[in-house]
Amino acid sequence: MAEEGRIHLALFKDVYPATMALDKLRELGIPDKDMTVVSGVPYSDRILGRPKYMTRVPRYSIVGFVGGFILSLLLNLGTPYLYPIHVGGQPLYSIPPTILLTFELSMLGLIIFTFLGVLFESDFPSLGPKIYHPEISNGKVAVVFDCPPEIHTRVHESLAALGAEWVHRTEAKQL
Amino acid sequence: MTADATPISQAQIYDEEEDPRQHLMLDPRPREEMNSMVMEAMHTTTREYWIVVGVLTFLVVVCLFGAWGYMIATGMGVAGIRRPTMWGMFIANFVFWIGISHAGTFVSAILRVFKAEFRRPFTRAAELMTTFGLAAGAMYPLIHLGRVWTAYWMVPYPNQRQLWPNLRSPLSWDLIAITTYLLSSTIYIYLPLIPDVAMARDRSTGWRYKFYRLLALGWRGTETEWHNLRTAINIFAFAIIPVMFSVHTIVSWDFAVTQTPGWHSTIYGPFFIAGAIFSGVSAVAMILFLIRATLVNMKYFVREEHFDALGKLMLIFSFTWAYFYFNEYMVEWYGGDLAAKTVLKAFTQSPYGWIWYLMLFCNIAVPWLLLWNKRVRRTPWLMFVIGFLINVGMYAERFIIVPTEISTNRFPFMWGDYFPRIELVISIGSLSLFLLLFAVASRLIPLIPVWEVQEGQLAHSLKRFGKHEVATKSELE
Amino acid sequence: MPQTDNPKWGMVIDLDRCTGCSACVTACSLENNVPIVGEADAGYGRGMHWIRIERYWEGTYPNLTARFRPIMCQQCGNAPCEPVCPVYASYHSQAEQLNVQVYNRCVGTRYCGNNCPYIARQFNWFGYADMMPEPLNSQFNPDVTVRSRGVMEKCTFCIQRIRRGEETAKALGRPVLDGEVEPACAQACPSDAIYFGLLSDPESSVSQLSRSPRAEVMLEDLGTSPRVIYLKAGSGAIRKEQP
Repeated sequence: MAEEGRIHLALFKDVYPATMALDKLRELGIPDKDMTVVSGVPYSDRILGRPKYMTRVPRYSIVGFVGGFILSLLLNLGTPYLYPIHVGGQPLYSIPPTILLTFELSMLGLIIFTFLGVLFESDFPSLGPKIYHPEISNGKVAVVFDCPPEIHTRVHESLAALGAEWVHRTEAKQL
Repeated sequence: MTADATPISQAQIYDEEEDPRQHLMLDPRPREEMNSMVMEAMHTTTREYWIVVGVLTFLVVVCLFGAWGYMIATGMGVAGIRRPTMWGMFIANFVFWIGISHAGTFVSAILRVFKAEFRRPFTRAAELMTTFGLAAGAMYPLIHLGRVWTAYWMVPYPNQRQLWPNLRSPLSWDLIAITTYLLSSTIYIYLPLIPDVAMARDRSTGWRYKFYRLLALGWRGTETEWHNLRTAINIFAFAIIPVMFSVHTIVSWDFAVTQTPGWHSTIYGPFFIAGAIFSGVSAVAMILFLIRATLVNMKYFVREEHFDALGKLMLIFSFTWAYFYFNEYMVEWYGGDLAAKTVLKAFTQSPYGWIWYLMLFCNIAVPWLLLWNKRVRRTPWLMFVIGFLINVGMYAERFIIVPTEISTNRFPFMWGDYFPRIELVISIGSLSLFLLLFAVASRLIPLIPVWEVQEGQLAHSLKRFGKHEVATKSELE
Repeated sequence: MPQTDNPKWGMVIDLDRCTGCSACVTACSLENNVPIVGEADAGYGRGMHWIRIERYWEGTYPNLTARFRPIMCQQCGNAPCEPVCPVYASYHSQAEQLNVQVYNRCVGTRYCGNNCPYIARQFNWFGYADMMPEPLNSQFNPDVTVRSRGVMEKCTFCIQRIRRGEETAKALGRPVLDGEVEPACAQACPSDAIYFGLLSDPESSVSQLSRSPRAEVMLEDLGTSPRVIYLKAGSGAIRKEQP
C-alpha cells in the first residue's frame, strides 16, 4: 500500500459492520485498492462487496502437472532407451505401466506446485513485521486501509459510529 | 374426522424432540472461546499422558528400531517368512497401514467435495491419521527388504553405474505412488493448519511461540491469503481423491498382477479400496473416542452426531467390502481353476481357519448386527469397540491375503504354513510409533480446525419452517 | 550344425529314467556353492537346493507308488519373475536366452520368489556362507559367486559351464558341439535322465527329444514357455496330486 504512517486498522466484531465500513470508506474517497479485509474465517468477495480477485495458484498447478508429465515420459520412455533390459516377454516401452506412472507423477507435480503456488503468491514464509491485530484470529474482522492524513479523523469517527471496536493508525509489528 | 377423536399434543408424538443445539453447527460459541478451548487442550498434559508417552517411546525404540536393527544385523531369517510364503506379516502390516491412511483423505477430501458438514471438527485428526499411518506403513517396504542398505537402488536417479530401476515392477509403482500420497497428505494437512497455527502463535509464548511462528509462515488472514489458500485446498481436495484411489489400487496390484493363484484376481483394486476406507473410517471412530477421552474440551467439538455419521459410513463400507469379497469368493469358487479352488479351501483349514472366521465375524457380523441401531451409533465407547473389532477383522483379511494365500500354490509338495516370529515385535513397534506420533501431535498442533468449525457455524442457522425449527445451511463460499 | 546367433539352451528330463536318487541335487549344490542351512531352517522350509525332487505318493500301503520329478528353475521364455523385480536383478539375457539372476543387484524384496509359479527360487535368509565351519568353505567352486545374505538365487543352468563351453568353442573356432556343455545335474545323473543342449539347433539331442510324443512342459497354460521339457513316465500321464 502506501508509505509508513498512513496505514490504519479498524477492528469489527463480525462481517456485517465491516462491509458497511468498506462502503463508508469508499464514500470518503478511499479507493478499493487501498483497503483490504483481514479475518480469521474466509469470506468470499461477494459477501464483502469487494472486486473479484482471481488467484494465480491454478496456473502453478497446471505447470506442475505438465512438469510431472514430462518427467514421467522421461522415466518411462527414456530410461529403457538408456538401459534396455528385457524382462518377462514384455515390450521395452510398455503402455500400461507408462500410463500408470504418468498419472502418479503428474499428480505429484500438480500437488507440489500447488503448494509452491500458495507459498509464492502469498509471499510465504515472511516472518518480518506486518500489519496485524491478534484479535483477528479470535474471529474479529479487520479493515486495513491507507488513509490520507487530512481525512483521518473523519474516517475514525465514521468507523467508530459503525461499531468499530478499535480504530487506529498502526505500524508493522512482529507477528 | 370422527367426533370422539382427541387431539394429540405435540409432546406426545415427538417426545424425543431433538434439541437442535445438539448439533455442533447449530451450537455456536464465540471464536475466542473455541480458540481457548483448543489451546487449553494442547497445553494440558497430565501425569498419565507422560507415562503413556514414555511407554510408547520405549516400545518404539526397543520393538521397532531395536528389533529391526537386530534383523538387519542378523538376517531376514529371524522373521517367520520362508519358502513359499516369502511375504508375511510385514507386507500384511504394510497393506493395513496404507489402508488406514485412506480414511483421512476420505474424510477431508471426499466429504469436503460433497460438502458434508459433519466432517468439520475431525478433518485434522483424520488427516493426521493418514500421515502417521503412512509413516508407519511406509517403513515396511524397507523393513522387509533382504538388503535394506541398498534400498536406494529402487529410486530412479542418474548414477555413475548408468543403471535405472525397473519401472515396470509394481514395487516401483508403489514407491512413486506412496511418495506422492505421503507428500500430498502432508501438504494437505498443512494447508488448512496454517490459520489455526497462526491463532496458536497469537496466543503462545516461549518455545511454542517460536514454533508456531515458523509454522504459520507469517499468516494474517488477508483476502489474498485466504483466496490462495482456499483455491489450493479445493484443488487438493479434488486432486487427492484420484491419488488416494490409485495408491491403494497400486498396492493391490502388488498381488493381483502375479501368477499366484488366489492373488491373481481382477477385483483386487476396488476390493482393497473398499477395505481401506472401511478400516480407516473405523479407525477414525476409535481415534475420536480417544481424543474425547484424553483431551479436555473435546466433547464440545466431537459429538454423538459425528459418531452417528461415521457409524453409517462404517455400515455402508461393510456392505461394500462384503460385496467385493463375496464377488471374489464366488467367482473363484464357481469357475476358478484347481489351484484357485484349493486356495479357497485353505482358508477354512488350520492353522489359519480361525483367522478367516474372525475376519467374517468382525467385518460382517459385528457391523451388520449393531450399526443399524441409532443408539449404538451414538454411543462413543461402543463405537470404539466396534471400530476396534472391525480393524481386527480387516487385519485378519490382510493376513489371509498375504501369507495364507501364497502358502497354497500349484505344487502341493511346496505348500508351507507361515508362523510369524520377530514380525510380532516389530508390529507392536510400528503401532506404538503411530500412537506416539498422535500423542505428540495432539499437544503440539491444534487438533480441531477451529476456523473451519466457525465457518460452518456461520453458515448454519435455525429457521422456522411450518411448525418446526429446521437447520438451514447457507452457501457462503 | 546350424546355429543361430542367439543360442537357446534347454534341458530335457526323461522321467522314465529318473530314479529319484537325488544325485543331481547333491551335484548342483556342490557345483554352485549352494549353502547348507541346518536342520531347523530346512525343516521350516528354508532349504536352499536349486533343484528339488518333488515326490508324491499314490495309493495306500502296501500298494504305494511314488511319483517324482526333479524341478529346478524352468528358465521361462516369458518369466513371471522378471518384470516384478524393481531393480532388474532378474532379467532375460538376450545372449543365452536364460533367466539371469544378478546377485549384486538384488535388493531382497523377494517378489520374484512369490511370482514364480514353479516355486523354484530361494532366498538367503542368513549369511550361510559365513556360518560354514572352517575347512568346509574351501570346497566352494571358484567359478561361482558365493552369495551374501539377503539375495535371491536359483538354478542358472550352470551358466559358468555354458560360458566356458562357448569360450572354448570360440577359441577353437567352431560352434559348440552337442553334449559338450553339461550342467552339474546332467553330469551326475547315474541313469542319464537329464539332457542338455541347444534347443535352437534342430539336430541336437534336446531338440530331437523335445519332439517326442512323450514331451510336455509344466504349467503350459500359464504361457511361461519354459525351457525344461519333461518326457512323461511310462504308465500314462503323470497326474498331479488331487488336494
